[in-house]
Amino acid sequence: MKTKTLTFAMALSTLAFTLSAQAHDPKEHMKDAKAPECAAMKDMDHSKMDMDDPVMQAMMKQCMKDMHGDDTGEEESHEDHEKESDTHNSEHQH
Amino acid sequence: MKNYLKSLALISAFILLSGGLFLYSGLYPMGADTPHNQLTYWLLETLRERSIARAASDLEIPNDLNSSDRLLAGGADYNDMCTGCHLKPGKTQSDFSIGLYPVPPNLTLTVDRHDPEHADSTGSDNETIKRQFWIIKHGIKASGMPAWGSGHDDERIWNMVAFIQQLPTLSPEQYQILSARRNNNGGHH
Repeated sequence: MKTKTLTFAMALSTLAFTLSAQAHDPKEHMKDAKAPECAAMKDMDHSKMDMDDPVMQAMMKQCMKDMHGDDTGEEESHEDHEKESDTHNSEHQH
Repeated sequence: MKNYLKSLALISAFILLSGGLFLYSGLYPMGADTPHNQLTYWLLETLRERSIARAASDLEIPNDLNSSDRLLAGGADYNDMCTGCHLKPGKTQSDFSIGLYPVPPNLTLTVDRHDPEHADSTGSDNETIKRQFWIIKHGIKASGMPAWGSGHDDERIWNMVAFIQQLPTLSPEQYQILSARRNNNGGHH
């Protein structure tokens, strides 16, 4: 009887611990997460920004995708640049 | 000498009895809307500060506490877990900040503004940083401050400390950007 009670108590405490750990998983917060409003950064004078400031560095990291378009857009633009340079090269060859 | 010891024993017994009677009488106001008297406040405050200072003294502050990665990870957690009581830029009060006693410090203000007594007593940034880490990890009894260490590892707590260090300098716009949770800043470092 004692063993049963002990096993039940251990299982219950393990379950409680697991659930509490899950509750604090950052992924749990993703449901309510708001996207960073990076439009404010676009209006800033970049020449006056202190790039050694960790706050500024963090903001740049957070808004990098928004400021340069999303990942796909960035890849496309690189491809576009390559296509453009190819076109220029072929024009020069002709 | 005998009389002296007898008087001492009587006085001690009287103090213990009076204290016990007061304790069981229920006369002390326990509601959070009635502040402690100055003596009780001083006793509890001193007990708390001395305990935290001793316990936090051996902590080692990570060298990269000012890194942008820590700011991003800590900002998201601060926004999810702390703003209700400790506020955020552009917000001056909440139901918790009004109703809790002792009043939770407004962390959008610098230490000398939200906790002037403590700032004066230490005068050291490192001690403040260690104190913040310890309080986040272990919480404070009977204050409403939970011990986040039970569900968060030390790295994640240091990230929050890193963010709190910068919090008083942030505008509401900066705060929004830094505290937004993207897939890549989900609390790890």
